[in-house]
Amino acid sequence: MLENIALIREVHTLMPTSKAQELANQYLQKINLDSIGTKRLNQCSSLEIFYVMCIRALMMDAKTVIIETPYAIVDNLRDIASVLENISILNFTNKKILILDTQNNQIHYKGCKCNTAK
Amino acid sequence: MIKFIENVGDKTITSLSSLYEAIEFTLICLGHMIQPKSYNPAMRMVLTKQIYFTAVTIIPLFIMMAFLFGSVIIGVVISLATEYSLQDQIGSIIVTFVIDEFSPFFTALLISLRSGTAVNTEIAVMNVNKELNMLKEYNINLIDYLFLPRIISGIISVTSLSILFAIIMLSSGYLFTLFYMNMDLHTYKYLLLDAIEVKDLIVLLVKSIAFGFATMLIPIYSGFKMANSYTTIPISVLNGMVKLFIAIFFIEVLSLVIQSL
Repeated sequence: MLENIALIREVHTLMPTSKAQELANQYLQKINLDSIGTKRLNQCSSLEIFYVMCIRALMMDAKTVIIETPYAIVDNLRDIASVLENISILNFTNKKILILDTQNNQIHYKGCKCNTAK
Repeated sequence: MIKFIENVGDKTITSLSSLYEAIEFTLICLGHMIQPKSYNPAMRMVLTKQIYFTAVTIIPLFIMMAFLFGSVIIGVVISLATEYSLQDQIGSIIVTFVIDEFSPFFTALLISLRSGTAVNTEIAVMNVNKELNMLKEYNINLIDYLFLPRIISGIISVTSLSILFAIIMLSSGYLFTLFYMNMDLHTYKYLLLDAIEVKDLIVLLVKSIAFGFATMLIPIYSGFKMANSYTTIPISVLNGMVKLFIAIFFIEVLSLVIQSL
């Protein structure tokens, strides 16, 4: 997973591999997922893969990150609040994060700190 | 009759457009190869791994095969040369056969069978799993990150292994000259040094580079251009391998034609 995350910085900012992997590891440590650094894709849960995708997206130059239907990406996701909290920990560069979801899942977002709009 | 003409026309247009696309893809890859910005740290990491998997892990098997095939074939060549009283020409026969023809051709076949199929399947599976689309979403250039390291590793691997194959084959040739012609090492060494020309080394290098390029480019293109379904993966590998073997034979024939001019 470290290689997958480090790839973004290696390609876009030509960061050396060792530095990019160190940075990727720091991102994973922030949400206590550094144990997946050496794992391959098939060894990770859908939630872990989701976080890796988020980290990669947050490493991009784009100012806005759009997450489309997290409930479809993560299997058996029950507590979106903890996911949102982890995303906010990762988002220390203050990118704008938009989550697009169906109205069926609106109930899951009740009580979350994020703004919701129909 | 009109239907027949329509079919012929349709197939001709399809073939020509496929050929145009393949040539375009080749030129794009060559263009990326000469751009320094293509060589980013991620690409260099993939390149290192590819060279390791294509050229390094095969070395024990390759040395064994080079010795076995090399000994048998060079034995046949030497015995035929002795039978037809061509002992004076034995040096140039060995050099031409081993360096110009057999080493690059055999190495290309071996790398095609081992790594060409693997690369074709890998790209095809990535294509079906939408991993290629995912990389595009992250603004990662597929040619720089996926294709170029494989093509360059193919060139480096085929060239280096061809040289290794030629060295092993020439070494095993000594055993046969010793056995058939009672030739000592010193005489054999000077026989080869007298026969070898710069032209032979250029032919070996140019052919190896061409073989290495084709060995990776054709499977990559075949995997990349396939339809998005799991059932088409074996068809993609099959088509890719057939095209690759045709390309290898074409390069071989072309080199013979050029050398005979």
